[in-house]
Amino acid sequence: MTRLFNDPADFREELIEGFVAAYSRLVRRVPNASGVMAVDAPQPGKVSVVVGGGSGHYPAFCGYVGPGLASAAVMGNVFAAPSAEQVYRVTKAVASDAGVLYCYGNYSGDVLNFDMAELRCQDEGIDVRTVRVTDDVASAPRGQEEDRRGIAGDFFVFKIAGAAAARGDALDEVERLARKANDHTRSFGVAFGGCTLPGQAAPLFTVAPGRMELGLGVHGEPGVQSSHMRPAREVADLLLDTLLADAPQDVGSTVAVLLNGLGSTQYEEMFVLYKDVNRRLLAEGLTPYKPIVNEMVTSLDMAGCSLTLCWLDDELTPLLDAPCASAAYTTI
Amino acid sequence: MSSPEVAISIVRRWLALALERIAAQEEELGRLDAAAGDGDHGATMVRGLRAAVAAADKAEGNAGQLLVEAGAAFADASGGASGALVGALLSTTGRTLGDGPYDTANVVRALQAGLTMVKRLGKAQPGDKTLIDALQPFVDALAAQAADQPLAAAWAAALPAARQGAAATAAMVARRGRSAKLGERSLGHPDPGAVSLTLLLQAADAVLSTG
Repeated sequence: MTRLFNDPADFREELIEGFVAAYSRLVRRVPNASGVMAVDAPQPGKVSVVVGGGSGHYPAFCGYVGPGLASAAVMGNVFAAPSAEQVYRVTKAVASDAGVLYCYGNYSGDVLNFDMAELRCQDEGIDVRTVRVTDDVASAPRGQEEDRRGIAGDFFVFKIAGAAAARGDALDEVERLARKANDHTRSFGVAFGGCTLPGQAAPLFTVAPGRMELGLGVHGEPGVQSSHMRPAREVADLLLDTLLADAPQDVGSTVAVLLNGLGSTQYEEMFVLYKDVNRRLLAEGLTPYKPIVNEMVTSLDMAGCSLTLCWLDDELTPLLDAPCASAAYTTI
Repeated sequence: MSSPEVAISIVRRWLALALERIAAQEEELGRLDAAAGDGDHGATMVRGLRAAVAAADKAEGNAGQLLVEAGAAFADASGGASGALVGALLSTTGRTLGDGPYDTANVVRALQAGLTMVKRLGKAQPGDKTLIDALQPFVDALAAQAADQPLAAAWAAALPAARQGAAATAAMVARRGRSAKLGERSLGHPDPGAVSLTLLLQAADAVLSTG
């Protein structure tokens, strides 16, 4: 249930205002647009990374704006892609002479609107490239990776793109590294309960007691398969069986790990689950690197979690480690 | 054939009636969307139409220009895929229609341009379970009417094709858009975008038939 709102139609606008009021040390409002930009953006000679998508997924997307991470986030209404007009305005506000990289989850609404804005910006001489996040293995089979949707893997791709941009890499290189991060990232999730849009009385979908949905979507799209509820250790194995069967080719044995809460799953439950995720990773000969057990891409008040693995190498690890500051993720 | 002043009035009354009818169906459209999507289609359409009504009331110029402004406002207020597509449909149709004449032949030509733009942007074809499954049969049926037939009569005669097209989406499996990710789960429910587009076309029929 979403309880704290005024007029549901004002939800996005009011959350942006409150977010900027709370984190003015990191971000400022993009004038006349539904978005926020890093206090240090744009920087001459450095690529600006613009992320975005519908609201309802905090800390995606505004929570990742700040020095060393995203330059700006375009914020749509709850579960709706931002309009091309808003993407355009935010891009104009942060475009630097080094160009702009769009980075967002692969959903048709986002693709349409970001693509339309990209064309308009290119017409005006701004060099804009796009890397779409496609980490959710449940959303399309192997061989159709580019059709998959983006879920919690957003975080690793944004972080690596933002770090490459902050380091001063040229646009070609920032784009290549973001694409590589995406190619190395896989996610799979389970849902135990639906989420409710602001102003709505009923959830988008429900999960029957004693059941769980596999392959949930972060917009409350039902899962691709339903199963009986299982003990945490079996859920850990189920998540890892699925991810490891879909592991990218020619990668090493060090993996960044994100166990992501969807909005109303308790942290302590997630640690119970992580114990078995860790056990299984080690048993598979994989080395977990700086694991994160946290809410990084949520779906309002949805119950559930997802597991993301990002296979690291000498190129990606330093970018993951590079310093950044944002409302949701800071590393020094 | 409508005079330029009548055409402006028709566009404004159509958008206002469309808003009223879509708002009345907001929850039902949301339910259809929740079957395989995120359940916000009704709310998104209402938000877009409110902005479109306001833009068309404020805009100056001919009926075509009103539609261009309404489309831009719709796309910006709605967001999402449906916002971009319906907005582009309104804007492209309006741009092609321009200052008329507002007769059947010209409206067909304008809607064909709008349909082409929607297909290009959305990369969808008939049978993909999208609004195109209502729009394409409607435009084809309208084009099949005698070009010298009054627009109101031609529109009314073409309308069943949109209704049938929207209903037929229930038997389709989504291949584009977010519901495509759910494949078979979309089966059995009509596409909310095709249903809401039909509501827009029906509202236009009601306005045209009263002149």
